Amino acid sequence: MRAIGLSTQVWNNNWRCGMLLAGFPLLLALLLFGLSLMAAEGGGGFAKSWHLAVRQFPLFLLWGGAAAAIWFGIAWLGHQRMLDVATGTLPVTREGEPDLWNSLENLCISRGETMPRLGIIETKALNAFASGLKRSEGTVTVTRGLLGALNPAELRAVLAHELAHIRNGDARLGVIAAIFAGILSLVAEVLLRGRFRTSLIRGGGGNNRRGGGLAAILGIVLILLAAGLGTALRFALSRNREFQADAMAVQITGEPDALITALRRIEGHSSMPEVPAQIRAMFFDDAALALGARFWATHPPIEERVAALVRFAGGRDPGPTPPPGPGGRRAQTGAP
Amino acid sequence: MEWVIPAIFVVLLVWLVMIYNRMVALRQTTGQAWADVEVQLKQRHDLVPNLVETVKGYAAHERGTLDAVVQARNQATAAPSPEAAGKAEAALTGALGRVFALAEAYPDLKADAGFRQLQSELSDLENKIAAARRFFNNAVQEYNTSTEQFPAIILAKNAGFMRMEFFALAEAERAAAETPPSVKF
Repeated sequence: MRAIGLSTQVWNNNWRCGMLLAGFPLLLALLLFGLSLMAAEGGGGFAKSWHLAVRQFPLFLLWGGAAAAIWFGIAWLGHQRMLDVATGTLPVTREGEPDLWNSLENLCISRGETMPRLGIIETKALNAFASGLKRSEGTVTVTRGLLGALNPAELRAVLAHELAHIRNGDARLGVIAAIFAGILSLVAEVLLRGRFRTSLIRGGGGNNRRGGGLAAILGIVLILLAAGLGTALRFALSRNREFQADAMAVQITGEPDALITALRRIEGHSSMPEVPAQIRAMFFDDAALALGARFWATHPPIEERVAALVRFAGGRDPGPTPPPGPGGRRAQTGAP
Repeated sequence: MEWVIPAIFVVLLVWLVMIYNRMVALRQTTGQAWADVEVQLKQRHDLVPNLVETVKGYAAHERGTLDAVVQARNQATAAPSPEAAGKAEAALTGALGRVFALAEAYPDLKADAGFRQLQSELSDLENKIAAARRFFNNAVQEYNTSTEQFPAIILAKNAGFMRMEFFALAEAERAAAETPPSVKF
Protein backbone atom coordinates (compact mmCIF):
# COMPACT_ATOMS: atom_id res chain seq x y z
CA MET A 1 0.00 0.00 0.00
CA ARG A 2 1.29 3.45 -0.84
CA ALA A 3 2.01 5.97 1.88
CA ILE A 4 -0.39 8.91 1.82
CA GLY A 5 0.38 10.52 5.14
CA LEU A 6 2.33 10.20 8.35
CA SER A 7 0.70 7.09 9.78
CA THR A 8 0.82 5.14 6.54
CA GLN A 9 4.45 6.15 6.11
CA VAL A 10 5.25 4.79 9.56
CA TRP A 11 3.47 1.51 8.77
CA ASN A 12 5.20 1.12 5.43
CA ASN A 13 8.56 1.74 7.04
CA ASN A 14 7.91 -0.92 9.65
CA TRP A 15 7.00 -3.42 6.97
CA ARG A 16 10.08 -2.62 4.90
CA CYS A 17 12.23 -2.86 7.99
CA GLY A 18 10.90 -6.33 8.80
CA MET A 19 11.69 -7.47 5.27
CA LEU A 20 15.23 -6.12 5.49
CA LEU A 21 15.81 -7.72 8.86
CA ALA A 22 14.66 -11.09 7.52
CA GLY A 23 17.43 -10.79 4.94
CA PHE A 24 20.21 -11.27 7.50
CA PRO A 25 19.54 -14.94 8.37
CA LEU A 26 19.22 -15.64 4.65
CA LEU A 27 22.60 -14.04 4.01
CA LEU A 28 24.13 -16.01 6.88
CA ALA A 29 22.78 -19.19 5.28
CA LEU A 30 24.23 -18.10 1.93
CA LEU A 31 27.60 -17.54 3.58
CA LEU A 32 27.50 -20.94 5.27
CA PHE A 33 26.65 -22.62 2.00
CA GLY A 34 29.64 -20.89 0.43
CA LEU A 35 31.79 -22.25 3.26
CA SER A 36 30.31 -25.68 2.73
CA LEU A 37 31.21 -25.51 -0.97
CA MET A 38 34.76 -24.49 -0.16
CA ALA A 39 35.12 -27.31 2.33
CA ALA A 40 33.75 -29.80 -0.18
CA GLU A 41 36.40 -29.02 -2.77
CA GLY A 42 38.43 -32.06 -3.67
CA GLY A 43 38.90 -34.54 -6.48
CA GLY A 44 35.92 -35.78 -8.47
CA GLY A 45 34.65 -32.75 -10.35
CA PHE A 46 32.20 -29.99 -9.67
CA ALA A 47 29.05 -32.14 -9.51
CA LYS A 48 30.49 -34.31 -6.77
CA SER A 49 31.67 -31.34 -4.72
CA TRP A 50 28.24 -29.71 -5.11
CA HIS A 51 26.46 -32.81 -3.83
CA LEU A 52 28.80 -33.11 -0.89
CA ALA A 53 28.29 -29.42 -0.11
CA VAL A 54 24.51 -29.80 -0.16
CA ARG A 55 24.69 -32.91 2.02
CA GLN A 56 26.85 -31.34 4.71
CA PHE A 57 25.00 -28.00 4.61
CA PRO A 58 22.69 -28.73 7.59
CA LEU A 59 25.73 -29.42 9.75
CA PHE A 60 27.26 -26.11 8.66
CA LEU A 61 24.00 -24.34 9.43
CA LEU A 62 24.01 -25.80 12.92
CA TRP A 63 27.61 -24.90 13.78
CA GLY A 64 27.52 -21.57 12.03
CA GLY A 65 24.30 -20.64 13.79
CA ALA A 66 25.76 -21.57 17.17
CA ALA A 67 28.93 -19.55 16.54
CA ALA A 68 26.89 -16.52 15.45
CA ALA A 69 24.75 -16.80 18.59
CA ILE A 70 27.82 -16.78 20.86
CA TRP A 71 29.27 -13.78 19.04
CA PHE A 72 25.95 -12.07 19.42
CA GLY A 73 25.93 -12.54 23.17
CA ILE A 74 29.42 -11.10 23.62
CA ALA A 75 28.82 -8.07 21.41
CA TRP A 76 25.51 -7.38 23.13
CA LEU A 77 27.04 -7.25 26.59
CA GLY A 78 29.94 -5.01 25.60
CA HIS A 79 27.86 -2.52 23.64
CA GLN A 80 26.94 0.23 26.10
CA ARG A 81 30.38 0.56 27.66
CA MET A 82 32.05 0.85 24.27
CA LEU A 83 29.58 3.58 23.33
CA ASP A 84 30.14 5.74 26.40
CA VAL A 85 33.91 5.58 26.08
CA ALA A 86 34.01 6.20 22.34
CA THR A 87 31.78 9.30 22.25
CA GLY A 88 32.94 11.10 25.39
CA THR A 89 29.40 11.61 26.66
CA LEU A 90 28.90 13.51 29.93
CA PRO A 91 25.72 13.06 31.96
CA VAL A 92 23.34 16.03 32.24
CA THR A 93 21.35 16.99 35.34
CA ARG A 94 18.15 19.00 35.61
CA GLU A 95 20.06 21.81 37.33
CA GLY A 96 22.80 21.86 34.72
CA GLU A 97 20.59 22.26 31.64
CA PRO A 98 17.05 23.05 32.82
CA ASP A 99 15.68 24.01 29.37
CA LEU A 100 17.00 20.89 27.69
CA TRP A 101 15.84 18.71 30.55
CA ASN A 102 12.33 20.21 30.58
CA SER A 103 11.91 19.90 26.81
CA LEU A 104 12.70 16.20 26.94
CA GLU A 105 10.67 15.61 30.07
CA ASN A 106 7.60 17.29 28.56
CA LEU A 107 7.85 15.11 25.48
CA CYS A 108 8.15 12.01 27.63
CA ILE A 109 5.21 12.97 29.82
CA SER A 110 2.99 13.63 26.83
CA ARG A 111 3.72 10.12 25.54
CA GLY A 112 3.90 8.27 28.85
CA GLU A 113 7.53 7.32 28.35
CA THR A 114 10.11 6.90 31.07
CA MET A 115 12.57 9.77 30.94
CA PRO A 116 15.76 8.53 29.30
CA ARG A 117 19.18 9.47 30.61
CA LEU A 118 20.38 12.73 29.12
CA GLY A 119 23.94 13.29 27.95
CA ILE A 120 25.92 16.04 26.33
CA ILE A 121 29.03 16.10 24.16
CA GLU A 122 31.12 19.26 24.36
CA THR A 123 31.62 19.99 20.68
CA LYS A 124 30.59 22.70 18.25
CA ALA A 125 29.19 20.17 15.80
CA LEU A 126 25.37 20.01 15.52
CA ASN A 127 24.24 16.49 16.23
CA ALA A 128 22.42 14.17 18.62
CA PHE A 129 22.01 10.47 19.17
CA ALA A 130 19.99 7.89 21.05
CA SER A 131 21.29 4.66 22.48
CA GLY A 132 20.21 1.92 24.83
CA LEU A 133 19.41 -1.71 24.11
CA LYS A 134 16.32 -1.68 26.28
CA ARG A 135 13.48 0.78 25.98
CA SER A 136 13.61 1.55 29.68
CA GLU A 137 17.36 2.23 29.64
CA GLY A 138 17.63 4.73 26.82
CA THR A 139 20.05 7.63 26.62
CA VAL A 140 19.54 10.76 24.55
CA THR A 141 22.72 12.69 23.88
CA VAL A 142 23.03 16.08 22.22
CA THR A 143 26.04 18.21 21.34
CA ARG A 144 26.69 21.62 22.89
CA GLY A 145 26.61 23.17 19.43
CA LEU A 146 23.05 21.95 18.93
CA LEU A 147 21.82 23.74 22.06
CA GLY A 148 23.20 27.02 20.80
CA ALA A 149 21.92 26.74 17.25
CA LEU A 150 18.31 25.59 17.56
CA ASN A 151 15.25 27.38 18.91
CA PRO A 152 13.06 25.55 21.47
CA ALA A 153 10.67 24.11 18.86
CA GLU A 154 13.54 22.81 16.75
CA LEU A 155 15.29 21.32 19.77
CA ARG A 156 12.01 19.64 20.69
CA ALA A 157 11.82 18.17 17.18
CA VAL A 158 15.33 16.73 17.43
CA LEU A 159 14.67 15.32 20.91
CA ALA A 160 11.42 13.77 19.64
CA HIS A 161 13.36 12.17 16.79
CA GLU A 162 15.76 10.60 19.29
CA LEU A 163 12.89 9.59 21.57
CA ALA A 164 11.29 7.88 18.57
CA HIS A 165 14.51 5.91 18.07
CA ILE A 166 14.28 4.72 21.67
CA ARG A 167 10.58 3.89 21.43
CA ASN A 168 11.23 1.90 18.25
CA GLY A 169 14.19 0.07 19.71
CA ASP A 170 16.35 1.33 16.86
CA ALA A 171 19.54 1.21 18.91
CA ARG A 172 18.88 -2.49 19.41
CA LEU A 173 18.09 -2.92 15.75
CA GLY A 174 21.26 -1.08 14.78
CA VAL A 175 23.35 -3.32 17.03
CA ILE A 176 21.75 -6.44 15.59
CA ALA A 177 22.40 -5.23 12.05
CA ALA A 178 25.98 -4.23 12.88
CA ILE A 179 26.72 -7.62 14.46
CA PHE A 180 25.27 -9.53 11.51
CA ALA A 181 27.10 -7.41 8.96
CA GLY A 182 30.25 -7.74 11.08
CA ILE A 183 30.04 -11.53 11.18
CA LEU A 184 29.49 -11.72 7.44
CA SER A 185 32.33 -9.43 6.46
CA LEU A 186 34.77 -10.83 9.04
CA VAL A 187 34.25 -14.41 7.89
CA ALA A 188 34.71 -13.28 4.29
CA GLU A 189 37.88 -11.40 5.11
CA VAL A 190 39.52 -14.12 7.21
CA LEU A 191 38.66 -16.82 4.72
CA LEU A 192 39.78 -14.97 1.66
CA ARG A 193 43.09 -14.03 3.23
CA GLY A 194 43.75 -17.60 4.29
CA ARG A 195 42.65 -18.89 0.92
CA PHE A 196 44.90 -16.60 -1.09
CA ARG A 197 47.85 -17.46 1.08
CA THR A 198 47.40 -21.22 0.65
CA SER A 199 46.85 -20.91 -3.07
CA LEU A 200 50.02 -18.85 -3.35
CA ILE A 201 52.00 -21.51 -1.48
CA ARG A 202 50.58 -24.23 -3.64
CA GLY A 203 51.39 -22.24 -6.73
CA GLY A 204 47.84 -21.52 -7.83
CA GLY A 205 46.42 -24.99 -7.36
CA GLY A 206 47.07 -28.05 -9.47
CA ASN A 207 45.52 -29.13 -12.76
CA ASN A 208 44.19 -32.31 -11.22
CA ARG A 209 41.86 -30.37 -8.96
CA ARG A 210 40.09 -28.21 -11.48
CA GLY A 211 36.54 -29.45 -10.72
CA GLY A 212 36.97 -28.96 -7.00
CA GLY A 213 38.52 -25.56 -7.67
CA LEU A 214 35.40 -24.46 -9.45
CA ALA A 215 33.29 -25.34 -6.42
CA ALA A 216 35.67 -23.40 -4.19
CA ILE A 217 35.51 -20.37 -6.47
CA LEU A 218 31.72 -20.49 -6.43
CA GLY A 219 31.94 -20.74 -2.65
CA ILE A 220 34.14 -17.65 -2.49
CA VAL A 221 31.78 -15.73 -4.76
CA LEU A 222 28.83 -16.64 -2.53
CA ILE A 223 30.71 -15.57 0.59
CA LEU A 224 31.71 -12.25 -0.98
CA LEU A 225 28.15 -11.71 -2.13
CA ALA A 226 26.79 -12.41 1.35
CA ALA A 227 29.31 -10.05 2.95
CA GLY A 228 28.62 -7.23 0.49
CA LEU A 229 24.86 -7.57 0.70
CA GLY A 230 25.08 -7.78 4.48
CA THR A 231 26.72 -4.35 4.68
CA ALA A 232 24.32 -2.85 2.14
CA LEU A 233 21.39 -4.30 4.08
CA ARG A 234 22.66 -2.81 7.30
CA PHE A 235 22.88 0.65 5.78
CA ALA A 236 19.50 0.38 4.08
CA LEU A 237 17.99 -0.57 7.43
CA SER A 238 19.64 2.39 9.12
CA ARG A 239 18.38 4.84 6.46
CA ASN A 240 14.92 3.42 6.73
CA ARG A 241 14.90 3.96 10.50
CA GLU A 242 15.85 7.61 10.05
CA PHE A 243 12.77 8.27 7.92
CA GLN A 244 10.77 6.38 10.50
CA ALA A 245 12.09 8.44 13.42
CA ASP A 246 11.45 11.68 11.50
CA ALA A 247 7.84 10.68 10.88
CA MET A 248 7.29 9.64 14.47
CA ALA A 249 8.91 12.80 15.78
CA VAL A 250 6.27 14.80 13.92
CA GLN A 251 3.56 12.54 15.30
CA ILE A 252 4.84 13.35 18.79
CA THR A 253 5.35 17.11 18.40
CA GLY A 254 2.85 17.89 15.64
CA GLU A 255 5.34 20.42 14.27
CA PRO A 256 6.75 19.29 10.92
CA ASP A 257 8.15 22.74 10.18
CA ALA A 258 10.36 22.76 13.27
CA LEU A 259 11.93 19.44 12.29
CA ILE A 260 12.51 20.70 8.76
CA THR A 261 14.24 23.88 9.90
CA ALA A 262 16.27 21.85 12.44
CA LEU A 263 17.42 19.56 9.63
CA ARG A 264 18.22 22.57 7.45
CA ARG A 265 20.27 24.18 10.21
CA ILE A 266 22.16 21.00 10.94
CA GLU A 267 22.82 20.39 7.25
CA GLY A 268 26.54 20.61 6.68
CA HIS A 269 27.38 21.19 10.36
CA SER A 270 26.89 17.70 11.75
CA SER A 271 30.37 16.34 11.07
CA MET A 272 32.03 14.66 14.05
CA PRO A 273 35.13 13.01 12.61
CA GLU A 274 36.48 12.15 16.07
CA VAL A 275 33.70 9.61 16.62
CA PRO A 276 34.16 6.14 15.06
CA ALA A 277 32.05 5.48 11.95
CA GLN A 278 30.31 2.53 13.60
CA ILE A 279 28.81 4.87 16.18
CA ARG A 280 28.13 7.78 13.84
CA ALA A 281 25.48 5.56 12.24
CA MET A 282 23.37 6.21 15.34
CA PHE A 283 23.54 10.00 15.17
CA PHE A 284 20.87 12.47 14.05
CA ASP A 285 22.73 13.10 10.82
CA ASP A 286 25.80 11.49 9.30
CA ALA A 287 26.49 12.84 5.86
CA ALA A 288 28.04 10.48 3.34
CA LEU A 289 31.45 11.74 2.31
CA ALA A 290 31.64 10.94 -1.38
CA LEU A 291 29.10 11.82 -4.04
CA GLY A 292 27.20 8.79 -5.25
CA ALA A 293 27.84 7.14 -1.91
CA ARG A 294 24.13 7.07 -1.09
CA PHE A 295 24.01 3.33 -1.17
CA TRP A 296 26.71 3.11 1.46
CA ALA A 297 25.34 5.84 3.71
CA THR A 298 23.76 5.22 7.10
CA HIS A 299 21.59 8.34 6.78
CA PRO A 300 19.47 9.54 3.88
CA PRO A 301 20.49 12.94 2.49
CA ILE A 302 18.83 15.84 4.36
CA GLU A 303 17.18 16.82 1.07
CA GLU A 304 15.27 13.51 1.00
CA ARG A 305 14.31 13.64 4.65
CA VAL A 306 12.90 17.12 4.16
CA ALA A 307 11.08 16.00 1.01
CA ALA A 308 9.45 13.14 2.94
CA LEU A 309 8.35 15.56 5.67
CA VAL A 310 6.85 17.92 3.13
CA ARG A 311 5.06 15.12 1.34
CA PHE A 312 3.75 13.06 4.23
CA ALA A 313 3.60 15.47 7.15
CA GLY A 314 2.50 18.60 5.28
CA GLY A 315 5.58 20.57 6.33
CA ARG A 316 6.98 23.67 4.64
CA ASP A 317 10.57 23.79 3.51
CA PRO A 318 12.28 27.18 3.79
CA GLY A 319 15.17 25.88 1.66
CA PRO A 320 18.80 25.77 2.74
CA THR A 321 19.02 27.73 5.97
CA PRO A 322 22.13 29.74 6.79
CA PRO A 323 24.17 28.37 9.67
CA PRO A 324 23.69 29.99 13.04
CA GLY A 325 25.82 33.07 13.51
CA PRO A 326 29.09 32.95 15.43
CA GLY A 327 28.32 31.66 18.90
CA GLY A 328 24.70 30.95 18.05
CA ARG A 329 21.83 32.72 19.73
CA ARG A 330 22.69 31.49 23.16
CA ALA A 331 26.12 32.95 22.72
CA GLN A 332 29.03 31.53 24.67
CA THR A 333 27.16 29.10 26.89
CA GLY A 334 30.37 27.23 27.52
CA ALA A 335 31.76 24.96 24.82
CA PRO A 336 35.52 25.16 24.47
CA MET B 1 -4.78 -29.97 -0.77
CA GLU B 2 -7.95 -29.40 1.21
CA TRP B 3 -6.14 -26.96 3.48
CA VAL B 4 -5.76 -24.39 0.68
CA ILE B 5 -9.24 -22.91 0.91
CA PRO B 6 -9.22 -22.46 4.69
CA ALA B 7 -5.73 -20.94 4.39
CA ILE B 8 -6.87 -18.40 1.81
CA PHE B 9 -9.86 -17.63 4.02
CA VAL B 10 -7.63 -17.02 7.05
CA VAL B 11 -5.27 -14.79 5.07
CA LEU B 12 -8.21 -12.76 3.77
CA LEU B 13 -9.62 -12.42 7.25
CA VAL B 14 -6.31 -11.25 8.68
CA TRP B 15 -6.04 -8.76 5.84
CA LEU B 16 -9.51 -7.37 6.50
CA VAL B 17 -8.81 -7.06 10.20
CA MET B 18 -5.61 -5.18 9.39
CA ILE B 19 -7.39 -2.73 7.09
CA TYR B 20 -10.09 -2.18 9.70
CA ASN B 21 -7.57 -1.56 12.46
CA ARG B 22 -5.67 0.87 10.31
CA MET B 23 -8.79 2.89 9.64
CA VAL B 24 -9.54 2.96 13.36
CA ALA B 25 -6.00 4.16 14.10
CA LEU B 26 -6.21 6.89 11.46
CA ARG B 27 -9.56 8.07 12.81
CA GLN B 28 -8.06 8.14 16.29
CA THR B 29 -5.22 10.34 15.03
CA THR B 30 -7.63 12.85 13.54
CA GLY B 31 -9.50 12.94 16.85
CA GLN B 32 -6.29 13.67 18.72
CA ALA B 33 -5.26 16.30 16.20
CA TRP B 34 -8.65 18.00 16.55
CA ALA B 35 -8.31 18.01 20.32
CA ASP B 36 -4.98 19.80 19.89
CA VAL B 37 -6.62 22.39 17.64
CA GLU B 38 -9.40 22.91 20.18
CA VAL B 39 -6.95 23.51 23.01
CA GLN B 40 -5.43 26.39 21.05
CA LEU B 41 -8.82 27.74 19.96
CA LYS B 42 -10.07 27.73 23.53
CA GLN B 43 -7.05 29.69 24.69
CA ARG B 44 -7.79 32.28 22.03
CA HIS B 45 -11.45 32.48 23.01
CA ASP B 46 -10.48 32.94 26.65
CA LEU B 47 -8.29 35.91 25.81
CA VAL B 48 -11.02 37.84 23.97
CA PRO B 49 -12.96 39.09 27.08
CA ASN B 50 -9.69 40.38 28.57
CA LEU B 51 -8.93 42.19 25.37
CA VAL B 52 -12.39 43.76 25.24
CA GLU B 53 -12.09 44.96 28.86
CA THR B 54 -8.68 46.46 28.21
CA VAL B 55 -9.81 48.31 25.09
CA LYS B 56 -12.95 49.58 26.82
CA GLY B 57 -10.77 51.40 29.31
CA TYR B 58 -9.38 53.60 26.53
CA ALA B 59 -11.98 53.54 23.78
CA ALA B 60 -15.32 52.80 25.39
CA HIS B 61 -17.34 54.42 22.63
CA GLU B 62 -16.04 52.04 19.94
CA ARG B 63 -18.97 49.84 20.81
CA GLY B 64 -19.56 48.51 17.31
CA THR B 65 -16.08 47.05 16.90
CA LEU B 66 -16.06 45.56 20.39
CA ASP B 67 -19.51 44.03 20.07
CA ALA B 68 -18.50 42.49 16.77
CA VAL B 69 -15.54 40.78 18.44
CA VAL B 70 -17.66 39.45 21.28
CA GLN B 71 -20.24 38.18 18.85
CA ALA B 72 -17.62 36.54 16.63
CA ARG B 73 -16.10 34.93 19.68
CA ASN B 74 -19.44 33.54 20.86
CA GLN B 75 -20.14 32.12 17.44
CA ALA B 76 -16.70 30.52 17.35
CA THR B 77 -17.16 28.88 20.76
CA ALA B 78 -20.49 27.44 19.63
CA ALA B 79 -19.25 26.12 16.27
CA PRO B 80 -20.42 22.50 16.02
CA SER B 81 -18.00 21.09 13.43
CA PRO B 82 -14.48 21.66 12.10
CA GLU B 83 -15.84 23.25 8.95
CA ALA B 84 -18.13 25.64 10.86
CA ALA B 85 -15.30 26.36 13.29
CA GLY B 86 -13.09 27.26 10.36
CA LYS B 87 -15.56 29.91 9.16
CA ALA B 88 -16.23 31.26 12.65
CA GLU B 89 -12.53 31.47 13.47
CA ALA B 90 -11.87 33.36 10.25
CA ALA B 91 -14.56 35.88 11.25
CA LEU B 92 -13.02 36.18 14.71
CA THR B 93 -9.59 36.80 13.21
CA GLY B 94 -11.04 39.59 11.09
CA ALA B 95 -12.82 41.18 14.07
CA LEU B 96 -9.67 40.98 16.19
CA GLY B 97 -7.75 42.64 13.39
CA ARG B 98 -10.14 45.61 13.53
CA VAL B 99 -9.67 45.91 17.29
CA PHE B 100 -5.91 46.02 16.91
CA ALA B 101 -6.35 48.61 14.15
CA LEU B 102 -8.15 50.79 16.74
CA ALA B 103 -4.94 51.07 18.68
CA GLU B 104 -3.52 53.25 15.92
CA ALA B 105 -6.08 55.92 16.80
CA TYR B 106 -5.54 55.65 20.59
CA PRO B 107 -1.87 56.10 21.50
CA ASP B 108 -2.57 55.43 25.20
CA LEU B 109 -4.13 52.10 24.33
CA LYS B 110 -1.23 51.24 22.08
CA ALA B 111 1.20 51.97 24.92
CA ASP B 112 -0.74 49.93 27.50
CA ALA B 113 1.42 47.04 28.72
CA GLY B 114 -1.56 44.72 29.17
CA PHE B 115 -2.77 45.45 25.65
CA ARG B 116 0.63 44.76 24.13
CA GLN B 117 0.89 41.54 26.10
CA LEU B 118 -2.52 40.42 24.81
CA GLN B 119 -1.58 41.37 21.28
CA SER B 120 1.58 39.29 21.31
CA GLU B 121 -0.18 36.37 22.99
CA LEU B 122 -2.92 36.40 20.39
CA SER B 123 -0.55 36.56 17.47
CA ASP B 124 1.46 33.72 18.99
CA LEU B 125 -1.74 31.71 19.36
CA GLU B 126 -2.65 32.39 15.76
CA ASN B 127 0.61 30.79 14.64
CA LYS B 128 -0.02 27.80 16.87
CA ILE B 129 -3.55 27.44 15.56
CA ALA B 130 -2.25 27.53 12.00
CA ALA B 131 0.25 24.76 12.77
CA ALA B 132 -2.30 22.61 14.61
CA ARG B 133 -4.78 23.17 11.77
CA ARG B 134 -2.25 21.94 9.22
CA PHE B 135 -1.50 18.85 11.29
CA PHE B 136 -5.21 18.14 11.66
CA ASN B 137 -5.97 18.62 7.96
CA ASN B 138 -3.07 16.36 7.08
CA ALA B 139 -4.45 13.63 9.34
CA VAL B 140 -7.95 14.10 7.90
CA GLN B 141 -6.61 13.81 4.40
CA GLU B 142 -4.78 10.61 5.23
CA TYR B 143 -7.90 9.19 6.87
CA ASN B 144 -10.20 10.21 4.02
CA THR B 145 -7.89 8.88 1.34
CA SER B 146 -7.35 5.54 3.01
CA THR B 147 -11.06 5.00 3.61
CA GLU B 148 -11.77 5.73 -0.03
CA GLN B 149 -9.13 3.45 -1.52
CA PHE B 150 -10.39 0.31 -3.14
CA PRO B 151 -10.48 -2.59 -0.74
CA ALA B 152 -10.98 -0.35 2.28
CA ILE B 153 -13.98 1.50 0.87
CA ILE B 154 -16.21 -1.59 1.02
CA LEU B 155 -15.37 -2.07 4.67
CA ALA B 156 -15.57 1.65 5.41
CA LYS B 157 -19.09 1.96 3.97
CA ASN B 158 -20.38 -0.90 6.08
CA ALA B 159 -18.53 -0.13 9.29
CA GLY B 160 -19.44 3.56 9.40
CA PHE B 161 -16.14 5.22 8.61
CA MET B 162 -17.55 8.55 7.43
CA ARG B 163 -15.69 11.10 5.39
CA MET B 164 -14.35 13.84 7.66
CA GLU B 165 -14.43 17.61 7.24
CA PHE B 166 -11.34 19.72 6.97
CA PHE B 167 -10.77 22.66 9.29
CA ALA B 168 -10.92 25.16 6.46
CA LEU B 169 -10.21 28.85 6.59
CA ALA B 170 -11.81 31.59 4.53
CA GLU B 171 -9.96 32.55 1.37
CA ALA B 172 -8.42 35.78 2.64
CA GLU B 173 -6.97 34.16 5.69
CA ARG B 174 -5.80 31.12 3.81
CA ALA B 175 -3.55 33.30 1.69
CA ALA B 176 -2.06 34.80 4.84
CA ALA B 177 -1.66 31.42 6.53
CA GLU B 178 0.03 29.87 3.54
CA THR B 179 2.81 32.41 3.16
CA PRO B 180 5.70 31.02 5.18
CA PRO B 181 6.23 32.91 8.40
CA SER B 182 9.44 34.89 8.38
CA VAL B 183 12.06 33.48 10.72
CA LYS B 184 13.69 36.10 12.93
CA PHE B 185 16.54 35.55 15.32
